[in-house]
Amino acid sequence: MVDKPTICGFCSCGCALYVEPAGSRVAALCPSTNHPVSTGRLCFKGWNAIPGLMGADRLRAPLIRKGESLESVSWDEALSYAASNLKRIISTSGSNSVGVIGSGKLTNEECYSLVKFARQVIGTPNIDGTSRFYDASMVPALLETIGLAASQVDLDSVARAGSMLVVGANVMEQLAHVGSRIQDAVEFGCKVVAADPRVSRIAPQASLFLHPIPGADLIWLRALLKTIIDNGLYVETATEIAGFNDLRDSLKDVSVKQLVGECGVDAEEVRQAAEILSNNPPVVVMFGLGVLQQAGASDLVKALANVAMLLGGSVMPLRGQNNAQGACDMGLATEYLPGCVPISDEQARQRWESVWNCKLTETPGMNAAEMIRACASGDIKALMVFGDNLVLSAPNSESAVAALEKLEFLVVSELYLTETAQIANLVLPACSFLEKDGTFTNIERRVQRVRKIFEPIGDSKSDLAIISLISRLLGFELSDDPETVTREISLNIPQYSEVSYLSLESDWGKPWPIDGVKAAMCPVESILQAEDPDYPLRLISSRIHYHQQTGTICARTSILAREYPESFAEMNEREAEKRGLKAGRHVTISSKFGSLTRMLILSDAVPEGCVHVPHFFGGDSSNMLASQECDSKSKTPVYKAIAVKVEAAK
Amino acid sequence: MVLTASRPANMWGVTIGAGDRLYLPQIAIIEDIIDETPDTKTFKLRFEDEEFAKAFKWEPGQFVELTVFGAGEAPIGFASSPLEKSFFELTVVNRGKVTGAMHLLPKGAKVGIRGPLGNCWPLEQIKGMDVLVISGGCGLAPLRPAILYILANRNDYGEFWLLYGARTPADRDFKYDLAEWAKRDDFHVLETVDVGDESWTGNVGVVTTLLPHVKINPANAVALTCGPPIMIKFTTIELMKMGFSEDRVVTSLERYMKCGVGKCGHCCINHVYICTEGPVFTYADMKKLPELGL
Amino acid sequence: MKVGDTYILAKTDLPMFFAAIGHEMRLIAPRAFFGGDVIFDIVESPKEIVWNYGHDIYPPKRFLLPHYEDMFRYTTGDDVRIEPLPAPPKQAIVGIRSCDVSAIRFQERFFGDQIDDPYYRARSENTVLFSIVCNKPPKRECFCICCDSGPYLESGFDVQLTDLGDRYLYEIGSEKGEQATQLGAFMLKPAEPKDTAERKRIELQADSLFQTVAYMAKAIMFVSEDQVPAQVWEELGSTCFRCGACTNLCPVCTCFTVEDRPEPNGCFTRCRSWDSCQFSGFTREASGHNPRPTFGTRVQRRFYHKASYQYILRDGRHGCVGCGRCVSACLTKLDLPSVVKRIRRAMHKYLQPQPASPNSS
Repeated sequence: MVDKPTICGFCSCGCALYVEPAGSRVAALCPSTNHPVSTGRLCFKGWNAIPGLMGADRLRAPLIRKGESLESVSWDEALSYAASNLKRIISTSGSNSVGVIGSGKLTNEECYSLVKFARQVIGTPNIDGTSRFYDASMVPALLETIGLAASQVDLDSVARAGSMLVVGANVMEQLAHVGSRIQDAVEFGCKVVAADPRVSRIAPQASLFLHPIPGADLIWLRALLKTIIDNGLYVETATEIAGFNDLRDSLKDVSVKQLVGECGVDAEEVRQAAEILSNNPPVVVMFGLGVLQQAGASDLVKALANVAMLLGGSVMPLRGQNNAQGACDMGLATEYLPGCVPISDEQARQRWESVWNCKLTETPGMNAAEMIRACASGDIKALMVFGDNLVLSAPNSESAVAALEKLEFLVVSELYLTETAQIANLVLPACSFLEKDGTFTNIERRVQRVRKIFEPIGDSKSDLAIISLISRLLGFELSDDPETVTREISLNIPQYSEVSYLSLESDWGKPWPIDGVKAAMCPVESILQAEDPDYPLRLISSRIHYHQQTGTICARTSILAREYPESFAEMNEREAEKRGLKAGRHVTISSKFGSLTRMLILSDAVPEGCVHVPHFFGGDSSNMLASQECDSKSKTPVYKAIAVKVEAAK
Repeated sequence: MVLTASRPANMWGVTIGAGDRLYLPQIAIIEDIIDETPDTKTFKLRFEDEEFAKAFKWEPGQFVELTVFGAGEAPIGFASSPLEKSFFELTVVNRGKVTGAMHLLPKGAKVGIRGPLGNCWPLEQIKGMDVLVISGGCGLAPLRPAILYILANRNDYGEFWLLYGARTPADRDFKYDLAEWAKRDDFHVLETVDVGDESWTGNVGVVTTLLPHVKINPANAVALTCGPPIMIKFTTIELMKMGFSEDRVVTSLERYMKCGVGKCGHCCINHVYICTEGPVFTYADMKKLPELGL
Repeated sequence: MKVGDTYILAKTDLPMFFAAIGHEMRLIAPRAFFGGDVIFDIVESPKEIVWNYGHDIYPPKRFLLPHYEDMFRYTTGDDVRIEPLPAPPKQAIVGIRSCDVSAIRFQERFFGDQIDDPYYRARSENTVLFSIVCNKPPKRECFCICCDSGPYLESGFDVQLTDLGDRYLYEIGSEKGEQATQLGAFMLKPAEPKDTAERKRIELQADSLFQTVAYMAKAIMFVSEDQVPAQVWEELGSTCFRCGACTNLCPVCTCFTVEDRPEPNGCFTRCRSWDSCQFSGFTREASGHNPRPTFGTRVQRRFYHKASYQYILRDGRHGCVGCGRCVSACLTKLDLPSVVKRIRRAMHKYLQPQPASPNSS
């Protein structure tokens, strides 16, 4: 029998669906017809990947490393092992030697409790989330521009847009409901200007499809801004927004003459884009990991936000994880407090110090990428990871493994024995979103109710329960009841003041309010692109349809895995010929930081000068090619547009 | 007479597959394992239940759904003589999850069998005709039961030829049979490989290069073919040129299968389920299926 | 009480009647869920039944061909044992519509064709359908009149109910329906001519209220003759999201995949679950070769199965009952009415009129 609906835990669309349990297996599932996002429809993962959460190899008991192997132990033993190690390391090396990494997959209550656990219970400022590897670069940039680190519009507005600028987003394959609304809008005359180095599945909808050279987006975006300003294509009210003049002045050096050689987009295309967007309000500007994982991502985000503000339009940043927005709102980032307020904000800091009754640092601690490097240097001695396969999502897995292995104490809370769990000292069996209560916040800022459908598999517990149990052993009482935590959230985070379980019993959930947010335009300076003759090609990394994040769940769902049996790399025919590379043979793609081998396919959807490497299961992903160093401005690792070379494999 | 593929007398077996047992495998024991090539093994199987084994009848061209317990099910064609009552053989290429798991099993291990499934080579209809068997790679296995049957009833058939092409000499299946058959006067066996080795003295080239050597009367002959799709395509073109009519070229089609009984839909080509109305088809029947693009 | 008889069941007697049915078998009917969602599910009491529902996304076919169905269990090791699973319970699906009934009859014919699928047979033998005529199309997307599967059926139903205001017309259409009726027979009164007249009036009016149409004849012809160019199919496939909703929600679709699922205690359960010809892995062989490698070839496959002479001859009807679920469930516009229209219009471009011969007199 089917009971109440829950919210899908895959992508940030946040569809409502019904799942019928039969013991611990999925007997039936269907979308909600009346839910404003799902509207009776689900994507490939929603329809097919749910059973992948309840696989036979789900972790059922805690595991402690004894010698070379991990052995099953009781929760009591596991928890006291965790507490004693944490106490020891805190007393010998200080709280700052402990790091905590959460994930945008956890519920709001879990993210909030994790932040509280790190800052209050452990007393460390080193608390961060997986957003660091995906979309964290957007947060400071959006706060400085549109004034909020979230989408300004909901999906209905997307369906009613007059025009869209979609940059660096594989939206048709990874965010189906956003893609579907884009198709609806186009049917009613919406004009889509898309930008992606390769031809992706948004092509049938695009009135204009720009193909910039990977890494050169800032050049054409500045040209776009200049074209809009110089030709008076902005709305009247744009001049009243703070920063308009500074923006205009910062673009004085833009020259459209050499444009196409510099960035792959010519002046005429830029002009067309500007006119299409200007003549077809309302405008929605969207961007995904293609922008957010680049070097200089924060400047790109600012430029895109400026475009939206000039045209009187809105921004919808495309964060992928189901609760990436919620994690951000809960302050699961070292430089922010809950409500996504910078930790440097003295008033906010004092308020939270009083709510949590603890001292908070003025400056941020280490972010997730910095924490991994600190594991290698020994500055971090204990790391707790909740809900992320860090080894695969972090740049350069080999270095990440080497760093994590240096830790004195690695605790991983996970569903399955992932690559990260395999090297842990302590593995705690967590349960999936099907087995717990809480809330997720979707891409529309809609806070929705996650409802428990299954009893936790084996002895697994929710991350909320795990955090509560460890805290108690460390002398703190953090509630393990989701509703209690939701109440604390709604009392203390202004955007969440209307959220309550009671209201969510009769309502699907509303986007949290954004009135009173001040917008400002930001100047955008140019950045010099470094060229490396040893690595003459640019990497285009992507996620194909069947693969999400590190692929832990998708690899365990036979229908998804069946769709994607072999990994490959794609190159343009002429480019391959130039380098003597043949289709069907293996090639090695290498960067300054790492390499991987793939079978080569030729495709004209990929431009010359590039190689397209989609992520594959089991860690076979282009993350291997990334550097561990973060981008200096956005403080996030760089995964896109990496300089690479491609040779025939030996 | 227009030739069509035959329907065996006992389409879904005597006791297996009828009624409630349609999806339940029968247990069989691996009695022997023969290494044919680096990636192919022939498994000699005997049913655990002797009563069942006695009642089990199948015809050349048919297949079974083989269950490797713990891995899953895969369709494999019979590869032994249908006249052999106490055992049957399956030749398995190590290609996927189930076949890979099968290759790891030792003698004495138990597997599951559902069948016999599918239709069969039209061996009754073609009595009195010249028979030209053309196979490539692992395509010899589904034809081996037909070859053994014809050899056991040699006088019922006219000229009998076998053309067999493999990638390399090491990749030939049933090397022991090929050696025996080559010695016979009443069976002309021609082999070829794509790439030879030091010891290979035979033909090198694709299997169609052997066709000019065949002496056969196309007006009263049938070609039984099985192999990679591209081999079948070019072979059929040459056979047409030699004067074979479209209904006298018979092949065994391969498709991804799951249930083997015409329900799950995976093996469907247009409106025809390969597992129940095939896998044996004449070229004339295949031309009626637009999806094949013939 | 016999097949062909017509009765009257007062609306006030409805709960008691179905309570009587519910004593002997489990009741499956449209139930209300959160936010106005209606899903066919097990109901504990007839009071839960929602009689006038609009959209229901999840077809009741799942009670005959479950979304995930365990087939049998086996142990591994030296002593391999195969354990069949218990027989399914008796059930009555109440409030099902004519489109879904036609689809179930189609599936019964398919699963029984040539060789009998024992799991489907066991469930269908244990299922009786109390269907309800649609006095007006329940949602905008319905088009059963284009598919000869509604809004009422002349045959093929077990028990057909028509809402005549304060009472239901109750028709027995099969032996199964006859047997089930015995359980509540005492509540039925014979129907009078005015009742059948009222029903006739409703039938005539209902047909005119449909908003979605699928004029299929030309599309069937083009698809059957394989005349639709590959380019048209590829254009259709270029927006597909590959979710599989169309085949999941189609009450006619039957394709499934089979998997051996490991259990915690070391056993395995062979389980079948809904699969879709729209997935590329549906036909990919172990060698890597895929006979349907592109989106276009897969969309072509689906519409061949839905609308071709070959299948109509094979299955007794074309593969669509006009329930409209694909229209609601598709993330792009690959539902049957839209595709049929696009094929017709695309073919205008490709079929040029033949010029008259210069020598014709």
